[in-house]
Amino acid sequence: MEKLRRIAKPVSHFVIVAFLWLGVQLPAAQAGIVGTEAIVNSAQAEQDRQHVAALLERVDVQEQLKAYGVSPEQAKSRVDSLTDAEVHTLAGKIDRLPAGGDSALGILFAVFIVLLITDILGLTSIFPFVKHRR
Amino acid sequence: MFRQGPPGSLRAVFLASTVLILAACAPLQSDRLLKSPQAFPPPVELTGTPFFPQEDFQCGPAALATALNWAGAKVTPEELVPQVYLPERHGSLQTELLAATRRHGRVPYVIEPRMETLLAEVEAGHPVLVLQNLGLSWFTRWHYAVVIGFDLARNEIILRSGRNERHVMSLQSFERTWQRGNHWAMLALPPNRLPASAEETPYLQAVTGLERAQHWQEAKIAYEAALSRWPDSVPARMGVGNSLYAMKDLPGAERAYRYITLSTPSFAPAFNNLAQVLAEQGQLKPAEQAARRAVSLGGPLEATYQETLQQVLDKLAAPAKR
Repeated sequence: MEKLRRIAKPVSHFVIVAFLWLGVQLPAAQAGIVGTEAIVNSAQAEQDRQHVAALLERVDVQEQLKAYGVSPEQAKSRVDSLTDAEVHTLAGKIDRLPAGGDSALGILFAVFIVLLITDILGLTSIFPFVKHRR
Repeated sequence: MFRQGPPGSLRAVFLASTVLILAACAPLQSDRLLKSPQAFPPPVELTGTPFFPQEDFQCGPAALATALNWAGAKVTPEELVPQVYLPERHGSLQTELLAATRRHGRVPYVIEPRMETLLAEVEAGHPVLVLQNLGLSWFTRWHYAVVIGFDLARNEIILRSGRNERHVMSLQSFERTWQRGNHWAMLALPPNRLPASAEETPYLQAVTGLERAQHWQEAKIAYEAALSRWPDSVPARMGVGNSLYAMKDLPGAERAYRYITLSTPSFAPAFNNLAQVLAEQGQLKPAEQAARRAVSLGGPLEATYQETLQQVLDKLAAPAKR
Protein backbone atom coordinates (compact mmCIF):
# COMPACT_ATOMS: atom_id res chain seq x y z
CA MET A 1 0.00 0.00 0.00
CA GLU A 2 2.78 2.41 1.02
CA LYS A 3 4.68 1.49 -2.10
CA LEU A 4 1.61 2.18 -4.21
CA ARG A 5 1.25 5.56 -2.55
CA ARG A 6 4.85 6.41 -3.29
CA ILE A 7 4.55 5.73 -7.01
CA ALA A 8 1.14 7.42 -7.24
CA LYS A 9 2.60 10.91 -7.40
CA PRO A 10 5.10 10.46 -10.26
CA VAL A 11 2.46 8.48 -12.17
CA SER A 12 -0.15 11.19 -11.77
CA HIS A 13 2.37 13.81 -12.85
CA PHE A 14 3.13 11.79 -15.92
CA VAL A 15 -0.57 11.51 -16.76
CA ILE A 16 -1.06 15.26 -16.37
CA VAL A 17 1.89 16.03 -18.64
CA ALA A 18 0.65 13.48 -21.16
CA PHE A 19 -2.78 15.12 -21.25
CA LEU A 20 -1.32 18.59 -21.64
CA TRP A 21 0.84 17.30 -24.44
CA LEU A 22 -2.22 15.81 -26.13
CA GLY A 23 -3.89 19.21 -25.89
CA VAL A 24 -0.97 20.84 -27.65
CA GLN A 25 -1.01 18.17 -30.35
CA LEU A 26 -4.63 18.84 -31.38
CA PRO A 27 -4.48 20.37 -34.83
CA ALA A 28 -5.89 23.84 -35.26
CA ALA A 29 -9.45 23.53 -36.54
CA GLN A 30 -9.91 24.37 -40.18
CA ALA A 31 -12.02 27.48 -40.50
CA GLY A 32 -15.70 26.67 -40.38
CA ILE A 33 -15.35 22.88 -40.43
CA VAL A 34 -16.17 20.66 -37.46
CA GLY A 35 -13.43 18.00 -37.46
CA THR A 36 -14.06 14.27 -37.38
CA GLU A 37 -12.01 13.89 -34.23
CA ALA A 38 -14.35 16.16 -32.25
CA ILE A 39 -17.38 14.29 -33.58
CA VAL A 40 -16.02 10.83 -32.80
CA ASN A 41 -14.80 11.90 -29.37
CA SER A 42 -18.20 13.25 -28.42
CA ALA A 43 -19.76 9.97 -29.59
CA GLN A 44 -17.27 8.17 -27.33
CA ALA A 45 -18.10 10.46 -24.41
CA GLU A 46 -21.80 9.75 -24.84
CA GLN A 47 -21.14 5.97 -24.77
CA ASP A 48 -18.90 6.24 -21.70
CA ARG A 49 -21.58 8.13 -19.80
CA GLN A 50 -24.20 5.55 -20.72
CA HIS A 51 -21.83 2.79 -19.65
CA VAL A 52 -21.23 4.28 -16.21
CA ALA A 53 -24.89 5.20 -15.78
CA ALA A 54 -25.88 1.60 -16.55
CA LEU A 55 -23.53 0.38 -13.81
CA LEU A 56 -25.06 2.75 -11.30
CA GLU A 57 -28.46 1.24 -12.19
CA ARG A 58 -27.32 -2.23 -11.08
CA VAL A 59 -29.11 -3.38 -7.93
CA ASP A 60 -25.97 -4.83 -6.30
CA VAL A 61 -24.05 -1.63 -6.97
CA GLN A 62 -26.85 0.49 -5.54
CA GLU A 63 -26.99 -1.67 -2.41
CA GLN A 64 -23.26 -1.30 -1.88
CA LEU A 65 -23.51 2.45 -2.41
CA LYS A 66 -26.22 2.66 0.26
CA ALA A 67 -24.09 0.55 2.58
CA TYR A 68 -21.42 3.24 2.30
CA GLY A 69 -23.95 5.97 3.03
CA VAL A 70 -24.08 7.29 -0.54
CA SER A 71 -27.44 7.62 -2.23
CA PRO A 72 -27.52 6.45 -5.85
CA GLU A 73 -28.90 9.87 -6.87
CA GLN A 74 -25.95 11.57 -5.22
CA ALA A 75 -23.54 9.27 -7.06
CA LYS A 76 -25.36 9.87 -10.35
CA SER A 77 -25.25 13.64 -10.05
CA ARG A 78 -21.54 13.50 -9.22
CA VAL A 79 -20.86 11.39 -12.30
CA ASP A 80 -22.82 13.92 -14.37
CA SER A 81 -20.49 16.65 -13.19
CA LEU A 82 -17.33 14.79 -14.25
CA THR A 83 -15.59 15.90 -17.45
CA ASP A 84 -15.58 13.66 -20.52
CA ALA A 85 -11.96 12.70 -19.88
CA GLU A 86 -12.71 11.69 -16.30
CA VAL A 87 -15.70 9.59 -17.31
CA HIS A 88 -13.57 7.95 -19.99
CA THR A 89 -10.92 7.01 -17.41
CA LEU A 90 -13.60 5.58 -15.17
CA ALA A 91 -15.25 3.58 -17.96
CA GLY A 92 -11.84 2.33 -19.09
CA LYS A 93 -10.92 1.12 -15.61
CA ILE A 94 -14.22 -0.70 -15.30
CA ASP A 95 -13.70 -2.42 -18.64
CA ARG A 96 -10.34 -3.74 -17.46
CA LEU A 97 -11.89 -5.59 -14.52
CA PRO A 98 -12.87 -9.22 -14.89
CA ALA A 99 -16.57 -9.35 -15.66
CA GLY A 100 -18.73 -10.57 -12.78
CA GLY A 101 -21.90 -12.60 -12.95
CA ASP A 102 -23.91 -13.28 -9.81
CA SER A 103 -21.17 -15.40 -8.23
CA ALA A 104 -18.98 -14.47 -5.27
CA LEU A 105 -16.77 -12.76 -7.83
CA GLY A 106 -19.78 -10.70 -8.87
CA ILE A 107 -20.20 -9.32 -5.36
CA LEU A 108 -16.53 -8.39 -5.17
CA PHE A 109 -16.88 -6.79 -8.56
CA ALA A 110 -19.78 -4.65 -7.31
CA VAL A 111 -17.83 -3.61 -4.21
CA PHE A 112 -14.81 -2.81 -6.31
CA ILE A 113 -16.84 -0.68 -8.72
CA VAL A 114 -18.54 1.17 -5.89
CA LEU A 115 -15.25 1.97 -4.19
CA LEU A 116 -13.76 3.06 -7.49
CA ILE A 117 -16.72 5.32 -8.22
CA THR A 118 -16.93 6.79 -4.72
CA ASP A 119 -13.18 7.36 -4.84
CA ILE A 120 -13.37 9.27 -8.08
CA LEU A 121 -16.25 11.27 -6.70
CA GLY A 122 -14.11 12.19 -3.71
CA LEU A 123 -16.37 10.44 -1.21
CA THR A 124 -13.74 7.84 -0.32
CA SER A 125 -9.99 7.71 -0.70
CA ILE A 126 -8.91 4.12 -1.12
CA PHE A 127 -7.17 3.95 -4.46
CA PRO A 128 -3.96 5.95 -4.55
CA PHE A 129 -4.12 6.16 -8.34
CA VAL A 130 -7.30 8.21 -8.21
CA LYS A 131 -6.53 11.88 -8.36
CA HIS A 132 -8.70 13.92 -6.05
CA ARG A 133 -10.15 17.20 -7.02
CA ARG A 134 -10.27 18.64 -3.55
CA MET B 1 -13.86 11.19 2.80
CA PHE B 2 -16.78 9.10 3.86
CA ARG B 3 -17.66 9.10 7.50
CA GLN B 4 -19.09 5.73 8.43
CA GLY B 5 -16.46 3.56 6.75
CA PRO B 6 -13.91 1.27 8.37
CA PRO B 7 -10.59 2.75 9.52
CA GLY B 8 -7.80 3.22 7.00
CA SER B 9 -5.67 0.16 7.67
CA LEU B 10 -8.68 -2.12 7.55
CA ARG B 11 -9.70 -0.54 4.31
CA ALA B 12 -6.22 -1.12 2.92
CA VAL B 13 -6.33 -4.78 3.85
CA PHE B 14 -9.77 -5.06 2.35
CA LEU B 15 -8.65 -3.44 -0.87
CA ALA B 16 -5.52 -5.55 -1.11
CA SER B 17 -7.45 -8.76 -0.59
CA THR B 18 -10.09 -7.71 -3.12
CA VAL B 19 -7.46 -7.04 -5.74
CA LEU B 20 -5.56 -10.24 -4.95
CA ILE B 21 -8.70 -12.35 -5.08
CA LEU B 22 -9.78 -10.76 -8.35
CA ALA B 23 -6.36 -11.47 -9.83
CA ALA B 24 -6.15 -15.00 -8.49
CA CYS B 25 -9.67 -15.83 -9.62
CA ALA B 26 -8.91 -14.91 -13.20
CA PRO B 27 -8.37 -18.31 -14.81
CA LEU B 28 -6.44 -18.70 -18.04
CA GLN B 29 -8.69 -18.03 -21.00
CA SER B 30 -6.79 -20.74 -22.89
CA ASP B 31 -7.88 -23.46 -20.48
CA ARG B 32 -11.51 -22.55 -21.08
CA LEU B 33 -10.95 -22.44 -24.87
CA LEU B 34 -9.21 -25.81 -24.99
CA LYS B 35 -12.06 -27.46 -23.09
CA SER B 36 -14.44 -27.32 -26.05
CA PRO B 37 -12.75 -29.12 -28.96
CA GLN B 38 -16.05 -29.23 -30.88
CA ALA B 39 -15.89 -25.42 -31.17
CA PHE B 40 -12.28 -25.28 -32.40
CA PRO B 41 -11.79 -23.09 -35.43
CA PRO B 42 -9.73 -24.79 -38.17
CA PRO B 43 -5.95 -24.36 -37.83
CA VAL B 44 -4.55 -21.22 -39.47
CA GLU B 45 -1.05 -20.14 -40.43
CA LEU B 46 -0.51 -16.91 -42.31
CA THR B 47 2.61 -18.18 -44.06
CA GLY B 48 2.71 -15.16 -46.38
CA THR B 49 3.58 -12.86 -43.47
CA PRO B 50 7.10 -11.51 -44.04
CA PHE B 51 9.84 -12.02 -41.47
CA PHE B 52 12.48 -9.59 -40.25
CA PRO B 53 14.96 -11.12 -37.80
CA GLN B 54 15.49 -8.90 -34.80
CA GLU B 55 18.74 -7.03 -34.04
CA ASP B 56 19.83 -6.74 -30.40
CA PHE B 57 16.97 -5.30 -28.36
CA GLN B 58 15.04 -4.04 -31.34
CA CYS B 59 12.01 -6.32 -31.28
CA GLY B 60 9.66 -3.31 -31.68
CA PRO B 61 10.95 -2.24 -35.11
CA ALA B 62 11.21 -5.87 -36.25
CA ALA B 63 7.65 -6.77 -35.19
CA LEU B 64 6.21 -3.56 -36.60
CA ALA B 65 8.02 -4.05 -39.92
CA THR B 66 6.52 -7.54 -40.09
CA ALA B 67 2.99 -6.19 -39.55
CA LEU B 68 3.40 -3.17 -41.85
CA ASN B 69 4.90 -5.14 -44.73
CA TRP B 70 2.07 -7.63 -44.49
CA ALA B 71 -0.25 -4.60 -44.81
CA GLY B 72 1.56 -3.54 -47.99
CA ALA B 73 3.77 -0.75 -46.59
CA LYS B 74 7.32 -1.29 -47.81
CA VAL B 75 9.48 -0.44 -44.82
CA THR B 76 12.48 -2.08 -43.14
CA PRO B 77 13.13 -2.37 -39.40
CA GLU B 78 16.16 -0.10 -39.87
CA GLU B 79 13.91 2.65 -41.23
CA LEU B 80 11.57 2.22 -38.27
CA VAL B 81 14.28 2.38 -35.61
CA PRO B 82 14.41 6.19 -35.43
CA GLN B 83 10.59 6.30 -35.33
CA VAL B 84 9.89 3.79 -32.58
CA TYR B 85 13.09 2.78 -30.78
CA LEU B 86 14.27 4.49 -27.60
CA PRO B 87 17.96 3.60 -27.17
CA GLU B 88 18.12 4.55 -23.50
CA ARG B 89 15.21 2.25 -22.70
CA HIS B 90 16.31 -0.54 -25.06
CA GLY B 91 12.77 -0.71 -26.35
CA SER B 92 9.72 0.81 -27.97
CA LEU B 93 6.57 2.24 -26.45
CA GLN B 94 3.15 1.08 -27.56
CA THR B 95 2.00 4.60 -28.48
CA GLU B 96 4.95 4.95 -30.81
CA LEU B 97 4.03 1.75 -32.62
CA LEU B 98 0.53 3.18 -33.11
CA ALA B 99 1.87 6.53 -34.33
CA ALA B 100 4.38 4.93 -36.73
CA THR B 101 1.61 2.76 -38.19
CA ARG B 102 -0.42 5.89 -38.97
CA ARG B 103 2.61 7.58 -40.44
CA HIS B 104 2.76 4.74 -42.96
CA GLY B 105 -0.90 5.22 -43.85
CA ARG B 106 -2.14 2.08 -42.11
CA VAL B 107 -4.86 1.88 -39.47
CA PRO B 108 -3.60 0.81 -36.02
CA TYR B 109 -6.30 -0.94 -34.03
CA VAL B 110 -5.84 -2.12 -30.44
CA ILE B 111 -7.95 -5.24 -30.00
CA GLU B 112 -9.90 -6.39 -26.96
CA PRO B 113 -7.74 -8.20 -24.37
CA ARG B 114 -9.26 -11.63 -25.04
CA MET B 115 -7.74 -14.79 -26.52
CA GLU B 116 -10.90 -15.38 -28.59
CA THR B 117 -10.57 -11.96 -30.19
CA LEU B 118 -6.89 -12.49 -30.94
CA LEU B 119 -7.56 -15.87 -32.58
CA ALA B 120 -10.54 -14.48 -34.50
CA GLU B 121 -8.33 -11.81 -36.03
CA VAL B 122 -5.71 -14.38 -37.08
CA GLU B 123 -8.51 -16.50 -38.53
CA ALA B 124 -9.66 -13.45 -40.50
CA GLY B 125 -6.16 -13.33 -42.00
CA HIS B 126 -4.74 -10.51 -39.85
CA PRO B 127 -1.35 -10.95 -38.15
CA VAL B 128 -1.57 -9.61 -34.58
CA LEU B 129 1.30 -7.66 -33.00
CA VAL B 130 1.45 -8.53 -29.30
CA LEU B 131 3.31 -7.21 -26.28
CA GLN B 132 4.70 -9.96 -24.08
CA ASN B 133 6.53 -9.95 -20.80
CA LEU B 134 8.86 -12.92 -21.06
CA GLY B 135 10.08 -12.33 -17.49
CA LEU B 136 8.00 -11.97 -14.35
CA SER B 137 5.85 -9.15 -13.06
CA TRP B 138 8.74 -7.98 -10.82
CA PHE B 139 11.53 -8.86 -13.26
CA THR B 140 10.29 -7.68 -16.61
CA ARG B 141 11.56 -8.60 -20.04
CA TRP B 142 9.33 -6.87 -22.55
CA HIS B 143 9.07 -8.29 -26.03
CA TYR B 144 7.05 -7.58 -29.16
CA ALA B 145 6.15 -10.42 -31.51
CA VAL B 146 3.57 -11.15 -34.20
CA VAL B 147 1.03 -13.95 -33.92
CA ILE B 148 0.56 -15.53 -37.35
CA GLY B 149 -1.21 -18.82 -36.65
CA PHE B 150 -2.64 -21.38 -34.27
CA ASP B 151 -3.73 -24.99 -34.06
CA LEU B 152 -5.95 -25.54 -31.05
CA ALA B 153 -6.13 -29.33 -31.46
CA ARG B 154 -2.35 -29.44 -31.00
CA ASN B 155 -2.42 -26.60 -28.43
CA GLU B 156 -0.08 -24.45 -30.52
CA ILE B 157 0.21 -20.77 -31.26
CA ILE B 158 2.69 -19.66 -33.93
CA LEU B 159 4.63 -16.38 -33.88
CA ARG B 160 7.23 -14.44 -35.78
CA SER B 161 9.39 -13.64 -32.78
CA GLY B 162 12.93 -12.26 -32.43
CA ARG B 163 15.33 -14.26 -34.58
CA ASN B 164 12.83 -17.08 -34.80
CA GLU B 165 10.78 -17.16 -37.99
CA ARG B 166 8.39 -19.80 -36.68
CA HIS B 167 8.21 -19.74 -32.91
CA VAL B 168 5.70 -22.27 -31.54
CA MET B 169 4.30 -21.97 -28.00
CA SER B 170 1.51 -23.68 -26.09
CA LEU B 171 -1.54 -21.48 -25.68
CA GLN B 172 -1.08 -21.37 -21.92
CA SER B 173 2.57 -20.26 -21.97
CA PHE B 174 1.75 -17.67 -24.59
CA GLU B 175 -1.21 -16.39 -22.61
CA ARG B 176 0.82 -16.00 -19.42
CA THR B 177 3.44 -13.88 -21.19
CA TRP B 178 0.69 -11.89 -22.89
CA GLN B 179 -1.22 -11.46 -19.63
CA ARG B 180 1.92 -9.99 -18.05
CA GLY B 181 1.98 -7.57 -21.00
CA ASN B 182 -1.53 -6.46 -19.96
CA HIS B 183 -3.03 -8.35 -22.91
CA TRP B 184 -1.94 -5.56 -25.25
CA ALA B 185 -2.27 -6.38 -28.95
CA MET B 186 -2.70 -4.34 -32.09
CA LEU B 187 -3.41 -4.78 -35.77
CA ALA B 188 -1.88 -2.71 -38.55
CA LEU B 189 -4.38 -2.89 -41.39
CA PRO B 190 -4.63 -1.45 -44.88
CA PRO B 191 -7.41 1.17 -44.80
CA ASN B 192 -9.78 -0.91 -46.91
CA ARG B 193 -9.77 -3.79 -44.40
CA LEU B 194 -11.75 -3.74 -41.16
CA PRO B 195 -10.69 -5.70 -38.09
CA ALA B 196 -12.94 -8.75 -37.64
CA SER B 197 -13.60 -7.55 -34.09
CA ALA B 198 -13.92 -3.84 -34.92
CA GLU B 199 -16.27 -1.74 -32.83
CA GLU B 200 -17.59 1.41 -34.42
CA THR B 201 -16.33 4.20 -32.18
CA PRO B 202 -12.89 2.77 -31.32
CA TYR B 203 -12.31 2.01 -35.00
CA LEU B 204 -13.28 5.52 -36.06
CA GLN B 205 -11.01 6.92 -33.36
CA ALA B 206 -8.16 4.91 -34.86
CA VAL B 207 -8.97 6.41 -38.27
CA THR B 208 -9.07 10.02 -37.05
CA GLY B 209 -5.38 9.49 -36.27
CA LEU B 210 -4.82 9.07 -40.03
CA GLU B 211 -6.42 12.47 -40.58
CA ARG B 212 -4.06 13.91 -38.01
CA ALA B 213 -1.14 12.41 -39.94
CA GLN B 214 -2.66 14.07 -43.05
CA HIS B 215 -3.21 10.75 -44.82
CA TRP B 216 -6.53 11.99 -46.22
CA GLN B 217 -6.88 9.47 -49.03
CA GLU B 218 -6.31 6.54 -46.66
CA ALA B 219 -8.64 8.10 -44.09
CA LYS B 220 -11.38 8.43 -46.70
CA ILE B 221 -11.01 4.76 -47.72
CA ALA B 222 -11.11 3.67 -44.08
CA TYR B 223 -14.26 5.73 -43.34
CA GLU B 224 -15.89 4.20 -46.42
CA ALA B 225 -14.93 0.73 -45.19
CA ALA B 226 -16.55 1.62 -41.84
CA LEU B 227 -19.70 2.72 -43.68
CA SER B 228 -19.87 -0.64 -45.44
CA ARG B 229 -20.17 -2.30 -42.02
CA TRP B 230 -22.15 0.45 -40.21
CA PRO B 231 -24.13 2.12 -43.02
CA ASP B 232 -25.92 4.46 -40.58
CA SER B 233 -22.77 5.72 -38.87
CA VAL B 234 -22.97 9.51 -38.81
CA PRO B 235 -19.35 10.01 -37.60
CA ALA B 236 -18.02 7.74 -40.40
CA ARG B 237 -19.93 9.69 -43.06
CA MET B 238 -18.75 12.99 -41.56
CA GLY B 239 -15.25 11.53 -41.84
CA VAL B 240 -15.75 10.82 -45.55
CA GLY B 241 -16.96 14.41 -46.04
CA ASN B 242 -14.11 15.92 -44.04
CA SER B 243 -11.44 13.86 -45.87
CA LEU B 244 -12.89 14.91 -49.24
CA TYR B 245 -13.00 18.53 -48.05
CA ALA B 246 -9.34 18.32 -47.03
CA MET B 247 -8.53 16.95 -50.50
CA LYS B 248 -10.42 19.93 -52.03
CA ASP B 249 -13.19 17.75 -53.45
CA LEU B 250 -15.92 20.22 -52.46
CA PRO B 251 -18.82 18.66 -54.41
CA GLY B 252 -17.95 15.25 -52.90
CA ALA B 253 -17.83 16.69 -49.40
CA GLU B 254 -21.10 18.51 -50.03
CA ARG B 255 -22.79 15.23 -50.99
CA ALA B 256 -21.64 13.51 -47.79
CA TYR B 257 -22.77 16.37 -45.53
CA ARG B 258 -26.07 16.76 -47.33
CA TYR B 259 -26.79 13.05 -46.94
CA ILE B 260 -26.50 13.42 -43.16
CA THR B 261 -28.63 16.58 -43.01
CA LEU B 262 -31.40 14.52 -44.64
CA SER B 263 -30.91 11.25 -42.72
CA THR B 264 -30.16 12.82 -39.31
CA PRO B 265 -31.68 16.31 -39.38
CA SER B 266 -30.86 16.88 -35.70
CA PHE B 267 -27.09 16.64 -36.25
CA ALA B 268 -25.82 20.23 -36.23
CA PRO B 269 -22.17 19.69 -37.33
CA ALA B 270 -23.37 18.37 -40.71
CA PHE B 271 -25.31 21.62 -41.35
CA ASN B 272 -22.31 23.68 -40.27
CA ASN B 273 -19.89 21.86 -42.57
CA LEU B 274 -22.42 21.91 -45.40
CA ALA B 275 -22.71 25.69 -44.99
CA GLN B 276 -18.94 25.99 -45.23
CA VAL B 277 -18.56 23.98 -48.46
CA LEU B 278 -21.54 25.72 -50.05
CA ALA B 279 -20.06 29.13 -49.19
CA GLU B 280 -16.70 28.13 -50.64
CA GLN B 281 -18.46 27.17 -53.86
CA GLY B 282 -20.15 30.57 -53.98
CA GLN B 283 -23.65 29.31 -53.10
CA LEU B 284 -24.12 31.88 -50.37
CA LYS B 285 -27.92 31.79 -49.97
CA PRO B 286 -28.16 28.03 -49.39
CA ALA B 287 -25.04 28.34 -47.21
CA GLU B 288 -26.78 30.91 -45.03
CA GLN B 289 -29.80 28.65 -44.69
CA ALA B 290 -27.66 25.69 -43.58
CA ALA B 291 -25.65 27.82 -41.16
CA ARG B 292 -28.84 29.19 -39.56
CA ARG B 293 -30.08 25.63 -39.15
CA ALA B 294 -26.84 24.65 -37.34
CA VAL B 295 -27.12 27.67 -35.03
CA SER B 296 -30.75 26.95 -34.18
CA LEU B 297 -29.91 23.31 -33.38
CA GLY B 298 -27.16 24.59 -31.06
CA GLY B 299 -25.13 22.29 -28.84
CA PRO B 300 -21.64 22.43 -27.37
CA LEU B 301 -20.15 23.73 -30.64
CA GLU B 302 -22.61 26.58 -31.08
CA ALA B 303 -19.84 29.19 -31.07
CA THR B 304 -18.34 27.54 -34.18
CA TYR B 305 -21.73 27.58 -35.93
CA GLN B 306 -22.16 31.28 -35.09
CA GLU B 307 -18.76 31.97 -36.59
CA THR B 308 -19.61 30.06 -39.78
CA LEU B 309 -22.89 31.97 -40.10
CA GLN B 310 -21.10 35.29 -39.57
CA GLN B 311 -18.59 34.47 -42.31
CA VAL B 312 -21.39 33.63 -44.73
CA LEU B 313 -23.24 36.84 -43.85
CA ASP B 314 -20.06 38.88 -44.35
CA LYS B 315 -19.61 37.38 -47.80
CA LEU B 316 -23.24 38.07 -48.64
CA ALA B 317 -22.85 41.70 -47.57
CA ALA B 318 -19.72 42.26 -49.67
CA PRO B 319 -20.18 40.24 -52.87
CA ALA B 320 -18.24 42.73 -54.98
CA LYS B 321 -14.96 41.91 -53.28
CA ARG B 322 -15.11 38.25 -54.27
